[in-house]
Amino acid sequence: MKNLSFNKGRPTCLCIFIFAVLLSNHSNATGLTFRTYTKQLQHQITGTVTDVTGPLPSVTVIVKGTTTSAVTDEKGNFSITANSTDVLIFSFLGYATQEIMVGNQTSIIVILAEDSTQLKEVTINAGYYSVNDKERTGSIARITSKDIETQPVNNVLATMQGRMAGVEITQNTGIAGGGFEIQIRGRNSIRSDGNAPLFIIDGVPYSSEAIGFSGTMSVLNTFTSPLNNLNPGDIQSIEVLKDADATSIYGSRGANGVVLVTTKKGKAGQTTVNVNFSSGVAQVAHFMDLLNTKQYLTVRAEAFQNDGITEYPEGAYDINGTWDPNRYTDWQKKLLGNSAQITNLSAGIQGGSEYTQFLLSSNFNHETTVFPGDYGYKKANVRTSISHQSKDKHFHLDFSGGYTVQHNNQPLADPTLEAITTPPNAPEMYDAQGNINWENNTFENNPARNFLGSSQSQTYDLIANIQLSYKVSQDITLKTSLGYTDLKHHEASVYPYTIYLPNYGLGAESSAIYYNDVARRSWIIEPQLNWKNLWGRLQTDLLGGATFQRQDNEQIAMSALGFAHNSLMNNPAAATYLTVSGNDEFIYKYQALFGRLNLQLDNRYIVNLTGRRDGSSRFGPSNRFAWFGAIGAAWIFSSEDWFVKQDVLSLGKLRASYGITGNDQIGNYQYLDSYGTSGNNYQGIPGLQPSRLYNPDFGWETNKKLEFALETGFLQDKIQFTAGWYRNHSSNQLVGVPMPGTTGFPSLQANLDATVENKGIELTLQTTNIQTKDFSWTTDFNFTSVKNKLLSFPGLENSTYSNQYVIGQPLNIIKLFHYTGLDSQSGIYTFEDINGDGSINSPSDKHVLLNLNPKFYGGVQNQFRYKNWQLDFLLQFVKQDNIDPRKIIGVPGEMGNRSTQILDHWSVPGDSGAVQLYTTGVNSDVESAFFNYAASDAVITDASYIRLKNLQLSYNLPAKWIGNTKCRLYLQGQNLLTFTSFKGPDPEFRAVGTLPPLRILTIGTQISF
Amino acid sequence: MKTKFYKNTMIKASLSLIAILPLMGGCDNFTETGLTPTQLDTNAVFENSSTATAALTDVYARIREASLLSGKNSGTGYRLGLYADELTWYGSTAIQTAFYNNSVLPSTAGLDVMWNNTYSQIYATNAVIVGVAASQTLQESDKQQLIGEALFIRALEHFYLNQLWGEVPYITTTDYRINRIASRVSQAEFNQKLIDDLEQAAQLLPDAYIDIDRVRPNSFAARALLARVYLYAQRWAEAANEASAVLNQTELYVWDTDLSQVFLKDNATTILQLKPRNEGLNTDEASSFYFNSTPTVVSLRLDLIAAFETGDLRLSNWTRKVTNNNGTWYHAYKYKERTNTGSSVEYSKILRLAEQYLIRAEARARQGELIGALEDLNVIRNTAGLGNCLAVSQEEVIQAILKERRVELFTEYGHRFMDLKRYNQLDAALETVKPGWDATNRLLPIAESELSLNPNLKPQNPGY
Repeated sequence: MKNLSFNKGRPTCLCIFIFAVLLSNHSNATGLTFRTYTKQLQHQITGTVTDVTGPLPSVTVIVKGTTTSAVTDEKGNFSITANSTDVLIFSFLGYATQEIMVGNQTSIIVILAEDSTQLKEVTINAGYYSVNDKERTGSIARITSKDIETQPVNNVLATMQGRMAGVEITQNTGIAGGGFEIQIRGRNSIRSDGNAPLFIIDGVPYSSEAIGFSGTMSVLNTFTSPLNNLNPGDIQSIEVLKDADATSIYGSRGANGVVLVTTKKGKAGQTTVNVNFSSGVAQVAHFMDLLNTKQYLTVRAEAFQNDGITEYPEGAYDINGTWDPNRYTDWQKKLLGNSAQITNLSAGIQGGSEYTQFLLSSNFNHETTVFPGDYGYKKANVRTSISHQSKDKHFHLDFSGGYTVQHNNQPLADPTLEAITTPPNAPEMYDAQGNINWENNTFENNPARNFLGSSQSQTYDLIANIQLSYKVSQDITLKTSLGYTDLKHHEASVYPYTIYLPNYGLGAESSAIYYNDVARRSWIIEPQLNWKNLWGRLQTDLLGGATFQRQDNEQIAMSALGFAHNSLMNNPAAATYLTVSGNDEFIYKYQALFGRLNLQLDNRYIVNLTGRRDGSSRFGPSNRFAWFGAIGAAWIFSSEDWFVKQDVLSLGKLRASYGITGNDQIGNYQYLDSYGTSGNNYQGIPGLQPSRLYNPDFGWETNKKLEFALETGFLQDKIQFTAGWYRNHSSNQLVGVPMPGTTGFPSLQANLDATVENKGIELTLQTTNIQTKDFSWTTDFNFTSVKNKLLSFPGLENSTYSNQYVIGQPLNIIKLFHYTGLDSQSGIYTFEDINGDGSINSPSDKHVLLNLNPKFYGGVQNQFRYKNWQLDFLLQFVKQDNIDPRKIIGVPGEMGNRSTQILDHWSVPGDSGAVQLYTTGVNSDVESAFFNYAASDAVITDASYIRLKNLQLSYNLPAKWIGNTKCRLYLQGQNLLTFTSFKGPDPEFRAVGTLPPLRILTIGTQISF
Repeated sequence: MKTKFYKNTMIKASLSLIAILPLMGGCDNFTETGLTPTQLDTNAVFENSSTATAALTDVYARIREASLLSGKNSGTGYRLGLYADELTWYGSTAIQTAFYNNSVLPSTAGLDVMWNNTYSQIYATNAVIVGVAASQTLQESDKQQLIGEALFIRALEHFYLNQLWGEVPYITTTDYRINRIASRVSQAEFNQKLIDDLEQAAQLLPDAYIDIDRVRPNSFAARALLARVYLYAQRWAEAANEASAVLNQTELYVWDTDLSQVFLKDNATTILQLKPRNEGLNTDEASSFYFNSTPTVVSLRLDLIAAFETGDLRLSNWTRKVTNNNGTWYHAYKYKERTNTGSSVEYSKILRLAEQYLIRAEARARQGELIGALEDLNVIRNTAGLGNCLAVSQEEVIQAILKERRVELFTEYGHRFMDLKRYNQLDAALETVKPGWDATNRLLPIAESELSLNPNLKPQNPGY
């Protein structure tokens, strides 16, 4: 039972061992000589390894000081050759390692005990190197497959939400295939789109730049993200590098942190087959309270009365009698009320010998939508991993490759906005024959029209890499990492003429399709040299390497307009007009030298130096190269001789780091003065247009990071607590400086002499509360508090940013009017007229600041295990303010449904309602007061929440029922419960009209044999 | 033995380093990428006339697709029609509703787009002027043609900006350091800049059209626009002179008495028109205003229909009456072809001869030359099947011209709104029929974003 959850750690365990053996070699010169004397006494030893519950398969048995090793089989049995003076080491992740002297024994029975202290022996992937967690000098957060597998989600970023200190993740849309935003330690760049971390998958940088195009796949509220290509089930661990010590080796791309994704690898031992099937449903968790027909028509009637309009205009179909005043439709339920079906099936086989291990796996995922109609998202992938080492273990090869196919088919537009705004007495969507009902050309915004068109995408993605390493001597290893990625993406938005009112008299000649095709390829070569040595008490580890990377991107967007018949729409060749609306090709080249020197004295004083010299094709010749570097240090004070041996504090470590990283996320060719094709044509001549405002002299954005942290373990590490403080200064800001329209362009690429500070505290606490044979309870807690601040900005007053930013305030602010209440005589909202000019103007009267950054956030994860039962759940919490969506939907009184919040309103002089008088839109004073209100502090609301983000209940069928087969049944849920005072659809709110994150519930079975 | 061990290690380490170093150093030029096929060096664009022409004619395409002169619902023909008293609105699009209700605000989404697109097109014309002037290889005749056209477009775009937003910056350079802090230009100075650009364009451009379609301006197109600019600047004599310069070209511009012919692409009253995006396609105006059984987005206002005198042939030729059980409506029908006609039939008219008659009529009337004024006015009236104008006094003639302009130029790039403004009759004409009308609506507000990015544009237009 325990095996299952710990199985995944076996390669790591192996690594530790190889590592340990390597290290021990230097100091064991005497052991070597001794062994030669006793060689003739070698004999075969057999035995069994168990824990308190039964046999333990896959335990590594190694003859101390040699490379001779064995692995226990499924019954816990092993066989190994050793001599009587040898010591056997039995190790398995999660258990205390035991050493047993062979002596005269030929048969050995070993009982391993679970050991939480051993978790500290975990090896952390730091990208170019691995570190023992205890000896780590940098700040690295980590989740493993254990955390990922409890979650019924199909996006890798979703699996990290709420589980990592310093990592803020927000879901953009509840539509499957949509993206997530990730921000590590706050926003560094003044550019809103320059804050993405660097993603590295098995050593290969993976571009997270959007692959979408405006006008295609518009159903998602942001461009399609390539990160959906990863299958969470394939992931062994995700490490997030945060401070200078960890990120400086990534130089110009490390400023926003680095996300390292490591996929699962095969394990030596018996070949096992693993099948996992789950299925479930996803639903919108919460709808807004909207007006019913009676309330709505009363509001409308009052609005017309207020406007002095006695005869309802022709276009006011909702109230002038054209539409049935007694009809009522709950449009939210109608358009978003379905249950999306989720199906997930994965199967894999793995195994291998001591020298070669393999893993083959495949996964299929299907998720339909909450919308009416036959829509869905499908993802299928296959993955292979092969590891091999030569008999002398000098040569090592690791290959991993994966191929993913995604198909997404969604409505033309997200119906969420129309679910809110469609009048409650609007007619049926469909007539008796099932055709769209235009209600005699009066129902132009029939939400069903978006189901006649569609948004479709297909993505094909290959990621492969090979790592070859050769041990030149015991100390020196040469290594080369080669990686390749190949992504193809096709998306289309389909606009058949049938989505328009018949009244327009349009035919298939007006049908259109907008295409977007993206091809992205990249390769990387990274030769490296590693030299470890021991100089007396000083242990050194030197790494040097180089990077050559190239990424090619091609994107072509086309529109096909005019067909003889709608049935021909999927064939662009049948279009009357085929126009190329965008064609972009770019090459990104990147080159670097990097190095690391790690010094450890007495295993307690550790200094880690990292550096990188980077060159990127994104900069002009004068600014193409730059240096980055960091120093990190750690002191394990609990290992000091003077540290009194006691039982309370088992680990005490202080660490600090300082260094410089950079950011080059500005797009390509921005330093060139050039023209590009415009996609227009005139007189048959394809147009050329200036690409940008010309500025060749911009350079790197630099980010200086400082961190101090304390890491402690108490009661044999049953309680582990870490506290970190950091301060990042981001300067020489590389900005698309917003330009007024009169310059001809929205922005100019330039370095801005401004500094942004991110300062924060990160706390993590892991406790093993109860640990007995039958019952265990562990808790993981993480907490992050971030303060983002614009420190300096010379000349802000006269700059184009003067109204956007304020020195001393976060970047993520909105300036708002100050609402001073409702004028009880006129019934109109009033605002503070700061400059006293008698009218309310933006920006001069906007002085209230709304900080949209969370004040703090975090998560609490608990795991309970009782015999064969296991319960995991994660509570995520965020403290933040946001805008109340109920108050910004639209002018109360205009056509379109509104929140019930508007009912408490002003109607006659003397009233003191919350909402001003209704208008149909002709009273421009009221209208403009509404828009000022929507941009005032009256709409700020507390959007803090505590959410039962994830829950898993699982049961392992007992071995006495099914023998060697393992079978686990589980129930998983996501976004199950939310505690919040926020009144919109979801406190993780982005914009009115975006489908919120869904509540997911699945059940599944996992079988392995 | 230990020393030897370290020595060996050192040698191996050094050898390995030596093996790797060539890989690492010596190829700093790895990061050179050069241009891809989708990027063309600016200097190269102006080395030959075909790419230089593509840089210029792209601006016409952008005017057609997304400008104040577009025939789509984002153009002035549509939006100023809603804003003044030409169109009735049935739709729900926010920005159109705001125009119709005269409730456009600095924060109205899409307002900035109208401004930004126009200045972006102006940037492109300035880039052509700079690039062509610096070119060592372009022929002198090509240079004159390209710069002349660029100056014409620059003036045309600025003219409309001025009409919508009043005193705004007049942009004549590509230097962002100047343009980002551009200040408003007084009306007098603005007029002079328009006149300078158009005079120079008229000098540089040949009298003959460079193409048979009249889709790029000749010198008379520049003079025709100049006539309008003088008229708006109340420089009557010059307005009359420039209009005459155009009207006198009777070989080039032939008056057509058949109203059904005016908006066809080959009509000889055309001074400048826009070529549709593809051969076979027609104008965007045709579909913008069209409806079949009941109006869904816009129809012509009934007071506009009532403004047509009995027997006015323009009513039957240029509008279409739609009747069903619920009522009767009209839509603009100057352009009739909404679909692909194989070979294009209609082009959008930017400048046409009728306006020149009306300009000269008004310029003459304002100077007291009433006979000449009526003569010009009657050309228009007679073509429409109406009798001569019966106005007698100067004021009557001037007002008769305004009335004539309303029915002649309706839904063409906001003439009605601009005329009422020029005549100082906006309030009188609109207060009664537009519930949301306010005197300060004569100018649109400058978009909030623009004002905050360039404080030199402050103060905001009055009333916002």
